[in-house]
Amino acid sequence: MKELTVSSDAPGKRLFVLGNEAIARGVIEAGVQVAAAYPGTPSSEVTETLAGVAKELDMYVEWSTNEKVAFEVALAASICGVRALASMKHVGVNVAHDPLMTAGYIGAKGGFVLLSADDPWAWSSQNEQDNRYIALQAYIPILEPSSVQEAKDMMADAFNLSEQFRHIFMFRSVTRIGHARGDITLGEISRERRKGHFVKNRSWLVYTPREARINKPLMLERFETIKKAVNTLTYNQLKLAGGAKLGIIASGLSYSYALEAVNWLGLEDKVSVLKIGTPHPLPEEMVLELLNSVKEVLVAEELDPFVELHVKAIAGGHNLPVKIHGKDLLPRIGELSTRKLTEAIAKLTKVKTPVDFTAIDKLEQETTPLLPWRPPALCPGCPHRASHYAIRVASRRVARELGKDIEPVYPGDIGCYNLAYNPPQEASDTTVCMGGSFGIANGMAHVIDAPIVAHLGDSTFFHSGIPPLVNAVYNKANITMMILDNSATAMTGFQPHPGTGYTAMGEEAVQLKPEDVARACGVKFVEVVDPFDLKKATETIEKAIRFEGPAVVVSRHLCAIIEQREKKKRKEAVVPYRVDPAKCNDKCNACIELLGCPALIKEGTKTVIDNSLCNGCGLCAQVCPHKAIVLE
Amino acid sequence: MVKEFNILINGVGGQGVILMSELLGRAAVADNLRVRGSEILGMAVRGGSVTSSIRLGDDVYGPLIPTGKCQAMVSMEPSEALRNISYLSESSLVLLNTAVTIPFTVSIGESSYPSLEAILEKLAKASEHIVQLDASQLAQEAGNLLTTNIVMLGALFSAGLPIKIATIKETIQAHFPAKVAPVNLKAFDLGYEACRQAVK
Repeated sequence: MKELTVSSDAPGKRLFVLGNEAIARGVIEAGVQVAAAYPGTPSSEVTETLAGVAKELDMYVEWSTNEKVAFEVALAASICGVRALASMKHVGVNVAHDPLMTAGYIGAKGGFVLLSADDPWAWSSQNEQDNRYIALQAYIPILEPSSVQEAKDMMADAFNLSEQFRHIFMFRSVTRIGHARGDITLGEISRERRKGHFVKNRSWLVYTPREARINKPLMLERFETIKKAVNTLTYNQLKLAGGAKLGIIASGLSYSYALEAVNWLGLEDKVSVLKIGTPHPLPEEMVLELLNSVKEVLVAEELDPFVELHVKAIAGGHNLPVKIHGKDLLPRIGELSTRKLTEAIAKLTKVKTPVDFTAIDKLEQETTPLLPWRPPALCPGCPHRASHYAIRVASRRVARELGKDIEPVYPGDIGCYNLAYNPPQEASDTTVCMGGSFGIANGMAHVIDAPIVAHLGDSTFFHSGIPPLVNAVYNKANITMMILDNSATAMTGFQPHPGTGYTAMGEEAVQLKPEDVARACGVKFVEVVDPFDLKKATETIEKAIRFEGPAVVVSRHLCAIIEQREKKKRKEAVVPYRVDPAKCNDKCNACIELLGCPALIKEGTKTVIDNSLCNGCGLCAQVCPHKAIVLE
Repeated sequence: MVKEFNILINGVGGQGVILMSELLGRAAVADNLRVRGSEILGMAVRGGSVTSSIRLGDDVYGPLIPTGKCQAMVSMEPSEALRNISYLSESSLVLLNTAVTIPFTVSIGESSYPSLEAILEKLAKASEHIVQLDASQLAQEAGNLLTTNIVMLGALFSAGLPIKIATIKETIQAHFPAKVAPVNLKAFDLGYEACRQAVK
């Protein structure tokens, strides 16, 4: 029997999947022909899954250079009548914001869905922005699933809705949907494949002031139609309990927490529940029906009071004397949980919680001080560890000459190298957004006197590092721009990019070199080093910092994880290093304190190398002042 | 019919916590159970704390186990068990691999690691059923330290789960390449037996 996978044509069969695989399955069932994305947690697995089956299903899947391009690729396919998906993490939507604001005016011909993967509690992000506001601003309706199964079903249906209403839809996922796991029942796969066809239509597609004024009323009309239609969509469901005083309005994933909380409290027949699958626009008739039947309402939603504000507006507009709760009882920050809902509902219904949460909290508080701090660390053998070491040594040498109080500044960026904000590297002083390191360095150059060494990765460079590099040349910013090139989008799972020489679908591609781009942009100091040649790397970075004007150093070494995988494929042994106890001064600890490599540990007073972790990079052997670290 | 059975698995990135959840999930679906789950990871996988929820049954809706509602906790690392103490109740079963993984922050003096006694003393305040195993040692006996997670899976099944033992073994067999499947099945049996002895 052939193993069941996300691309299996096996309607009715059940499969255990990651939420993002379920979303990809929905895309497959819808017969989507174009999917474009830039990697970002928690969205990446959707496109990875699609890329893996693209050829067998006759789909086109690409990793675009950034989210704006991904969005435009999908928009173009839709305009040409082909079903298309653009996917990205929540902050990626900011990068795509420019075309997105006009996409609502354009609407859709081929079904067009934007997947926004939001990240409450910012598990792997720089903020926890609520992208429902972006959809609100752009007149884009939102579909928000409550479970892994619904994520699959809703995504498959989203393309039908988009074509039915000739409008773009946002599918809003969150970390606990995309990175949840669950069983799904597979549906039919659409085999329809359309030929893209572009019809010239100036009034629809060439946005000058005239077209903005022509198309905005048409967009508002489409939106009004959708606003009525959501009252009959099954993603919104109202369950009234006879005589209930309390109603719960729960949007997306919050619905699953609300159901569990109501059951845990034994209030199944005493509380009315409105499940919301379209937070924008809200099913107003259903909201009104609930508001008319209860005295109090609790709005359960993660992050901002988005549904709450709209429910309050509806209640106010109809002069309904209902008390509406939401962010007065539930947090604006982080994820919701069954517990948080249980406590809020218990408070409103004056029912005792089924568990003594206070006692649990007390025990947890007593326990916390005992816990070791276990932050994610750069991997053993990670080239960034070597790059950051070289950057620190070189920049401090120059800073010392400039004055006793001068500290070098290290604007950082989004990627694994951001972990260098932890000790002992402490070599990432700012992280704001993709490409922000070079941009921030540009500004600092005009206001401070310290050496400024900014760093970003190869994928981030192609994503949004080039405009600030050009800016540094044009506006004469005296900064050093490090491109830490490990030939991968490592943090999100090693996706290819324009510097890797192959595409999402595994085809060979032109391999762009950041150093060529930098030279072509007019940077006069461009050098390439291998960070594991520590001496040369340090000297080169020092020269770059001393160079008058913008300088670029590409620090190139393959990601340690990929390198290890390739060695394994070639059946090449990894040769670890070891500490020679005769030469090691146990009290020195330089290797541990300078590098913080997980493979360097203390066994009692002895410094040793854990040979199950060591990947033989040899960086510690280069920094040991006693030459006590040697090859096995 | 299973209404709700919550399993919390925790450990350190690289210990195979996610694989344990995947195997449990696949086996549960094969046994016609409903499954939900999710993981909590640090920003990167390697070296950080990992916690994974696997929830079985028809009354389960959310992906995460609620506070105080975990039936079985499988800890690949002692301090990680302690980190998740809020999920436990008096009736929870705790399966503890006693082999420690010291984070680099301890090596550089930025934090400290508690004694096993201190960990057990706190855990005992939350739950009355703690089973200690040297799973890493058993994995080496099975033939590969990397099977520590499968040893712990065996121990979990010895404690009793709504999933059939034959089903999880088939799932393990199907997941691993033919060359390493036997080592993993041996690891499963060693964990199963060790837990059975410990409970006796």
